Amino acid sequence: MNHSLRRLSIACLAMFLLLMLNVNFLQVFRVNTLAAEPRNSRTYQQQFKVWRGEIIAAGGNQQQVIAESSKVRSGPFAGDFMRHYPDPFVYAPLTGYDSIYATTSQFGLTGIEQAENAYLAGTAPRLAVYNLKGLFTGKPKQGASVYLTISPRAQQAAYAALLAMGKPAAVVAIDPKTGQILALASYPTFNPNALATLDGTKFNAADHRLLTDPAQPLLNRALNATFPPGSTFKIVTSSTAFGTGKVGNQDSTIPAPQFYHLPGSTKVLTNDGDAPCGDGNPQIIYAFTVSCNTAFGKLGDTVGGAALFDYANLFGFNDHGWSLKIPLAVSPSAYPRQTDPAFLALSAIGQFNDAVTPMQEAMLAATIANGGKLMQPYLVQQIKAPDQSVVVATQPTVLRQVISSQVASFVTKMMISVTQNPAGTAYATAGPPATSIVIAGKTGTAQNGPNNSGLDDAVFTCFAPASNPQIAVGVIVKGGGFGADAAAPIALKIIQAYLEQH
Amino acid sequence: MSAAASVAAIEPPAAQRPVALPRGRRGAELVMLGFAVVIMAFAYLNVGLGLKGHVPSGFTTFVGGFAVLILLAHLAVRWLAPWADPLLMPLAAVLNGLGIVMIYRLQQSGRSGNPGVLISTLTTHAALYQLMWTAVGLIAFVGVLLLVREPRVLQRYTYTLGTAGLILLAIPAILPDSLSSIQGAKVWIIIGGFSVQPAEFAKIALAVFFAGYLVVKRDVLALAGRRFLGIDLPRARDLGPILVLWVASLFVLIFEQDIGTSALFFGLFVSMLYIATQRKSWLLIGFALFVAGALIAATFIAHVGERFAVWLHPFAGDTVANSYQLVQGLEGMAYGGLFGTGLGQGMPYYTPLVQSDFITTGFGEELGLTGLMALLLIFGLLVQRGLRAAMAVRDPFSKLLAGGLAFGIALQVFVIVGGVTELIPLTGVTTPFLSQGGSSLVASWMVIALLMRISDTARRPAPQPIQDEGLTQVVRRG
Repeated sequence: MNHSLRRLSIACLAMFLLLMLNVNFLQVFRVNTLAAEPRNSRTYQQQFKVWRGEIIAAGGNQQQVIAESSKVRSGPFAGDFMRHYPDPFVYAPLTGYDSIYATTSQFGLTGIEQAENAYLAGTAPRLAVYNLKGLFTGKPKQGASVYLTISPRAQQAAYAALLAMGKPAAVVAIDPKTGQILALASYPTFNPNALATLDGTKFNAADHRLLTDPAQPLLNRALNATFPPGSTFKIVTSSTAFGTGKVGNQDSTIPAPQFYHLPGSTKVLTNDGDAPCGDGNPQIIYAFTVSCNTAFGKLGDTVGGAALFDYANLFGFNDHGWSLKIPLAVSPSAYPRQTDPAFLALSAIGQFNDAVTPMQEAMLAATIANGGKLMQPYLVQQIKAPDQSVVVATQPTVLRQVISSQVASFVTKMMISVTQNPAGTAYATAGPPATSIVIAGKTGTAQNGPNNSGLDDAVFTCFAPASNPQIAVGVIVKGGGFGADAAAPIALKIIQAYLEQH
Repeated sequence: MSAAASVAAIEPPAAQRPVALPRGRRGAELVMLGFAVVIMAFAYLNVGLGLKGHVPSGFTTFVGGFAVLILLAHLAVRWLAPWADPLLMPLAAVLNGLGIVMIYRLQQSGRSGNPGVLISTLTTHAALYQLMWTAVGLIAFVGVLLLVREPRVLQRYTYTLGTAGLILLAIPAILPDSLSSIQGAKVWIIIGGFSVQPAEFAKIALAVFFAGYLVVKRDVLALAGRRFLGIDLPRARDLGPILVLWVASLFVLIFEQDIGTSALFFGLFVSMLYIATQRKSWLLIGFALFVAGALIAATFIAHVGERFAVWLHPFAGDTVANSYQLVQGLEGMAYGGLFGTGLGQGMPYYTPLVQSDFITTGFGEELGLTGLMALLLIFGLLVQRGLRAAMAVRDPFSKLLAGGLAFGIALQVFVIVGGVTELIPLTGVTTPFLSQGGSSLVASWMVIALLMRISDTARRPAPQPIQDEGLTQVVRRG
């Protein structure tokens, strides 16, 4: 019987080998997928045991802690870590929130809290060496701190200006030379502290209130809401005209009828107040300064739908793959390809189906400011492990050369004229009467709603100082009226706040 | 010269040949038992430090008590089975000790240092009860060694034990639910607050029965009938016993809803049938019958079909409620990872009934892959020592019994550890020595006692021939 006993021993060996292989598979290779299971109670409990890293606004030689964790001292959650946002409304669109459902639902985390969760929670592979050290020294697990490019002064000024305006609005400011995002504010916004509670009942109440609020406070208007760009799109139309050689330079003349009968349509395109545009054949810089619709509508038909579509894409429109991550996801701005000359003319002045995010507006100005070279916009400057060693440091990268530096210089001259020429649309609010800083900008007053019945959206995109650009700003105020009146002052406040600190 | 030298090299003087002196190796056993107690002591300290940050109370009770029990059992082995395999008892002891520590750790989940609600269903005395059951188990261990001085004696009780085994197995099915059902498992006999799982003891009785029966019938069962696909099939008229056992195990499954035990019995029988006859065809027939039984059960018994569904898709939406336990166990093991959280520092209390069927996942969570591999190796060694005893012993009955018991341990570990780690569908059987519960612990110690008795018989030196009787030698056989 020893023969069959030996065979049976081999069977036993096989059974134990199977068990061991399976256990290895389970506890080595399936660890991450099991930890990520939405109903994993241990991962859920674990999140309150981790000393989550801080989020710090650290742009412009200033530092402000905007999200931090501290241990609850008493009550039912004593010993757990709770998230706190010291300046909640100002930074909510950036920080997002970290709620008790962070590990069980994809909606439990938003903003940087979600985008950099692996570092903040200390689970990122790059923190493995640090965590291993902690394992041996017995230190409690602590996440890494995320340093943002946001300038506290510019951000504070941005939110204060939006709050004072009191209308749904958003603003983005970028350093055009590096792509660092200096300010990103949205109004109305929410208090993330209300969602950071450890009490499930309180969280549900706050969550329900915010989700059902008609003002949509949870919407990040700077990145995820689109508005018609209005006349600010003339930057793209002009760039296309210069780039394709249809217009020589800023002093070249272009036809600008008082009334432009849209080809193949009964509609007539007019200028603001049905005014004529110069002598009907002005220099393009003049048409840009006073923002003639007829001149640029006709220019759109001159350059053609295909060219305009290509240039819009270069500036960042139609990013349907949501490839722009800063690391927050940026909704695509829309410039649909137009073949009908009537629609093409309308789209060339930023009407019809054009739609932009405030982020895209800032990118328009930043591209012109940086000699036609669009830098990849980014929010995270660096990430530091708890021992202050840098684990991630972002280097500025070129997204793409949108237009030549020569074309950019033509557009720059036109944008300076908008604020510096007494006839310019933004002369009063962003020109010498308002500030000594030379700002290069473009206003937009976008009609919207069915039959343009809605209040006009105010848009302003600009950079300053014009000679040595340090900040590019895009502002959109929903229902703000004239871009020059509603949006330009907000941009000015941010520029002043940011440049004063240098 | 050279020729003479080579002759001398070939035939060394008989007196110089090394003589293998048989040794009992009880000293080695004592050292290893001490090691097992030390492991238990450190694990106990670890739990206290992990949970509360200081040396836990009851250290002397648990570690001291366990050490004394083990020492007394060891002394009994020196007296009753001096030639037994020295590894069997230390292996069982280290598992038993770690089981007590884990139950001590689990009875405190949600208490003292672990925030949150109390999730564990254990009473505050669970570990103490487990220690008491260890005492009972070791008494049974010594009792078996004392009563069964020669393994072949058991052969006389083949049919008595067979009947007893079947009755033990059937009792819970016959008793009303109030006396036989705990949390849906109808496998108990509950008398005045005490609960006994008769199947644990039926397992031993039936192993003896199978051994006694097969030793007699093996020549007939080994007869070849028709040849099919290169395999000698047994004669149709010899299929009776295996069919009877198959039906009996199906009855267990249907009336007690206990898939694990039913699979265990059938596996035990088929493996012993194979050891006895050396016919692979029996394994194939057994396997085919098992698959057929499992399919029938999965199709017609909702409870069994559910187990299959849970095994295949534990994370699917509609099985979440049913797979909660399995999923918690898996997530616990993943949480433990390579090195584990450390005793007292994980969250094994999220897994329902982690102290019984799912104790492996508790170890996986707190001791990690490293600890679990060590535990599996200990079980593997235990099985290997048992099979070694089977191979060493000369008497066919003892050979069959040892082989069956050792394979039974392997099968039980495979069924439960494989079940909780999603390798095979989950069926509830206890983890030998680790799981909470007296019946399993006592029965496991009895199995170790039988294996030690058989290895004692195998390793016992043959009686010295009485030289002055000339050619006549009297060999006493027991």
